Amino acid sequence: MSPDRSRFRAAAAASGRWLFLVVLLAFLYGPLATLILFSFNDSIVIALPFREFTLRWYGEAMKNPLVVESLKNSIGLAAIVTPISLVLGTLAAFGITRFRYRARGAVAGLVGAPLVVPWLLIGVGALLFFSRFHFHLSLRTVAVMHVVTVFPLVAAIVSARLVRFDRSIEEAALDLGAAPRELLRYIILPLIAPALAASAIFAFSWSFNNFVVTFFTGGFEVTFPVWVFSTLRHAKNLPVVNAVSTLVAVVQLGAVYLAWRLARSRTLGRGVSSDIPEGAVPGLIH
Amino acid sequence: MMRRKRAEEREGIGRGARRALLYLASPVGVLLVLFVGPMAVLLIVSFEYSSFTRTGGFTLSNYSTVLTDASYLRVAWTTIFVATMSMGVMLLAAIPLAYFLVFRLGKLELPILLLLVLSDELNPLIRIYAWRMLLGREGLINSFLTSLGVIEHPIDALLFSKIAVIIVLSASFIPYATIPIYASLKAIDPSLLEAADDLGSRWLAKFRKILLPLAAPGIFVTVILVYIPLFSEFAAPALVGGTSGYMLGNAVQEQVLELGDWGVGSAMSFLLLVLSGVVALIGYKLGRIRRLEAIT
Repeated sequence: MSPDRSRFRAAAAASGRWLFLVVLLAFLYGPLATLILFSFNDSIVIALPFREFTLRWYGEAMKNPLVVESLKNSIGLAAIVTPISLVLGTLAAFGITRFRYRARGAVAGLVGAPLVVPWLLIGVGALLFFSRFHFHLSLRTVAVMHVVTVFPLVAAIVSARLVRFDRSIEEAALDLGAAPRELLRYIILPLIAPALAASAIFAFSWSFNNFVVTFFTGGFEVTFPVWVFSTLRHAKNLPVVNAVSTLVAVVQLGAVYLAWRLARSRTLGRGVSSDIPEGAVPGLIH
Repeated sequence: MMRRKRAEEREGIGRGARRALLYLASPVGVLLVLFVGPMAVLLIVSFEYSSFTRTGGFTLSNYSTVLTDASYLRVAWTTIFVATMSMGVMLLAAIPLAYFLVFRLGKLELPILLLLVLSDELNPLIRIYAWRMLLGREGLINSFLTSLGVIEHPIDALLFSKIAVIIVLSASFIPYATIPIYASLKAIDPSLLEAADDLGSRWLAKFRKILLPLAAPGIFVTVILVYIPLFSEFAAPALVGGTSGYMLGNAVQEQVLELGDWGVGSAMSFLLLVLSGVVALIGYKLGRIRRLEAIT
């Protein structure tokens, strides 16, 4: 093969790759971009041509009591579910990775099961369960079921971290006379901190984003995803939904991005390198 | 000697179990009550009579209703079709994407990975809505094409169809589909590919003999992680699927929440679980076979 031809082929392959990436990113982010664009369009229908720039849909969204309530409910829910899931998940991760006992496989299977069983079935099962035992459906039942679906994710992220780091560090600390509390404070917590940070972000967004389980186990209070669903189920597309969605998406993506940056800089600063970034772990497990 | 060693080991295990119990009591307790409990109730209800007038008593009628009704069979086929097509689209995107990420993108690897993870964190309802805006009869794609004069009448097939559901579901799960494959490719020693290059193997041979077999475990994880949730999807088909994109998840939701027939709804749920299990098993088997071929 002549050098010219091989150079030509390499250039063709590179531009093919670029095309592929651009199409893919357009597929993933294009709809969101148009959604944001049309939240600023001064027209009741979402259609071309683009009329005039306006912020009125944002004003209307903030005046809508259902929107405000649903956002409050979703944020409150995630704020309660996240710390509980962090504690339960970390306990489970230690219990599974740090000891040897016969039921270990069974325990790991049980903790992993809510990640594999479809949320629809968990939601329907929980609805029947609560009604059989005469529990009143409310945000409380929703929160309880969010914990059930979210803490196994935390357990998976934290145990992935626990099995990866070298136990000899712990043993060395013990040999040098560290008390269990010192071991936890100076060795274990700093080592699992990135995993805990990643877990917190994902736990929060799993709870905030959850639609199916909430839909089945909720009472009259709406959460944000449930509000979107019931608004659009029997109605046309509404610019107000664009405005609220834009706000939520920007805050969500911004927060995850910042947290990723923070977690990365800290991890790198400690000189702990990992082959796969911490944030990718939920994708591996879900 | 042996016996003592084994006894010691057993004691070690016993001590381990006692200490582990300290950690595990609350998480396992929560799951036993609030995960195993609901699943058990679901199973029980699927074998009970249930109507508005009375509930209770053992019956197989819920299962026979679901299995013999022709309309459910059609819904089941729609579900399998939509899930399989979406899975196919995702693998077509995910395998090259994972390959580029690991071997070709260099400095761009992390930013693109970040974009994938970010898009996954987006609220799924927002994503579905955004697509509905684009695809509808008066949607942006249609109004754009008509205003350009490319088409005279809007294309109705874009919204409330199987195609719409496939598009939306593929867009939703591509990150999940990519990351396991990415992880398994990441574990490949690049020298393996260089050796293949040095020995003059063609691209297709490299793909078939090295990449695919080594990516197989990741592909299997992807199939389990993505294919199974696809079977029980119900928000996307409810918002963009219309009647022709009606899937099993919608049928379960309608039975349980709208018609109040919990017996049939839970029987359907369990059949869905069995279907998912079969898919997982097939994925697992395929993943292993490929791996063995790679070794021999």
